[in-house]
Amino acid sequence: MSRAEIPLEARAVTVVRGGRPVVRDVSLTVSAGTVTGVLGPNGAGKSTLLLTLLGALPSGRREGRTAGSVSLEGRPLETWTAPERATRIAYVPQRTELSAPLSVASVVALGRHAHGQTRASERDPAVAAALDRAEVGALAGRRFDTLSGGERRRVLLARALATEARVLLLDEPAASLDVGHGLTMYAQLQALAADGYAIAVVLHDLDDALRFTDRALLLQEGRGVADGPTASVLSTARVASVYGVDMVPKAGLRFEARSGRP
Amino acid sequence: MALVAVGAGGLLVGTGSLDDPKFRALFLELRGLRFVAALVAGAGLAGGGVLVQGLFRNPLASPSILGTTAGASLGGQLVLLLQPAGGSAGVGIRAEVLLGLGSVAGALAALMILLVLLQRRADRVTLLLTGFVLSTLLVAVGSFVVSIAQSRHELGRAVVAFTLGGLEGVGRSQLALALPLAGVGLVAAWRWSGPLDALLSGETEAASLGVDVVQARRWIVVWVALLTAAGVALGGNVAFVGLVVPHALRGLVGAEHRTLLPLAALGGGVFLAACDVAVRLAPGSGEVPLGVVTGLVGAPLFLYLLRRTGAG
Repeated sequence: MSRAEIPLEARAVTVVRGGRPVVRDVSLTVSAGTVTGVLGPNGAGKSTLLLTLLGALPSGRREGRTAGSVSLEGRPLETWTAPERATRIAYVPQRTELSAPLSVASVVALGRHAHGQTRASERDPAVAAALDRAEVGALAGRRFDTLSGGERRRVLLARALATEARVLLLDEPAASLDVGHGLTMYAQLQALAADGYAIAVVLHDLDDALRFTDRALLLQEGRGVADGPTASVLSTARVASVYGVDMVPKAGLRFEARSGRP
Repeated sequence: MALVAVGAGGLLVGTGSLDDPKFRALFLELRGLRFVAALVAGAGLAGGGVLVQGLFRNPLASPSILGTTAGASLGGQLVLLLQPAGGSAGVGIRAEVLLGLGSVAGALAALMILLVLLQRRADRVTLLLTGFVLSTLLVAVGSFVVSIAQSRHELGRAVVAFTLGGLEGVGRSQLALALPLAGVGLVAAWRWSGPLDALLSGETEAASLGVDVVQARRWIVVWVALLTAAGVALGGNVAFVGLVVPHALRGLVGAEHRTLLPLAALGGGVFLAACDVAVRLAPGSGEVPLGVVTGLVGAPLFLYLLRRTGAG
């Protein structure tokens, strides 16, 4: 595969925030048709790495990305304009700062901004398709600030899909969802990957990582300690070393999403 | 309908009687100018309020609370103070243009100082406290300017009149200055509705949606300065219009700037024109300053909003 065919790639990236190195010499490839998990304990640098892939952190000598490179479709990320980037990489944050009384349709239509559509409505084909795919069409007329945390997360996925970007970066997408909606969210991500989307997702739950990601990068104190198929990355010995816990095979409850779940 | 009612009030209410045919045309012209000035000043202040609240993602922000209005006022005061002795401060066209430019520069400087101070931390409490301190500082410097200006009688009167504000005696040349400021500010800001909507999600999300955040912030600050300067150049340091009107309308029509901005401009104009009619109806020998009426309405409402939305 040539570099231009790799949607998004970080190579030997080091990121400094507040004078402290948060990510150190980490490489990650986000491939089409794959759900890639970014794993690690609290403070391992997962969200920072995601923001670096997004291009949201500046590159500099003392702060931000201080070493390494990020390339989008084979070109350095910083050479793309903001709208060009936004039509190729979409982002779903862990917590949005959006709490204004905007309609759900308006929030999803913000995904069309980078396409120059500043007056898109829910009748716009891309907005309608995104509402449908994220299963939030029924919420289109509701106000975003009146939605539950789980509904908001699904609306933000719809906004990301409305950009028509083929790379999706998600920070703990199921963090505020109940078990049913969490499973549905992961099923949607797997279906998107099957359609050729390149997906990177920050995860805390290792069981979810094993079930729903194809590959994983495991971070510890900012360094990548393993990268590869998720099952091989999350070996019993490595999990014990990184998290300080023992894996208990086949313990606890396990749930499956029902087909046709609303 | 409110616009028509307030317009009728603005034309009919006043100390002079319209029964005398000799003065009817003159009174109607003066009151008409005053009504239009109230609409323009209110539109500028409310439009500026919409932009500031969107920029800081804070429904409790406004040009007056963040020191922008005080900055515009100080800019105007300094321009008056620097007029040469015997000059036509506040009378000639050139002086009024300079007054407007001074207000724009003052508003811009105040906003830039605020943005620099909030670079590291911009939560709601820090924003309000920093804005309050900045506003207090600029008002204090403005008071110092007023005291210096008293050494020259005419200059002292001009500075005090500008500082107190009010729409009494507003002239065509003042309107000719403020109208383009407000018009350009509103139209330009309206064209930035999309980025403003995206910025409601925060800067990281807005950037991920394709907004050039640095450029958007820079231009929105300029439009706020133009709109606030238009309001201050006509009505002086009138508080709370930029807070109350956008906040009330956002609850009714939503936060989409394409809709909210023109409605807030209209609402701000009607609100200030209504306050200006109330000024003329208040008991007493002279007119109550306009800022007193907007403060009497706005301050309790601000406290209510602060209580309802919390400090976090």
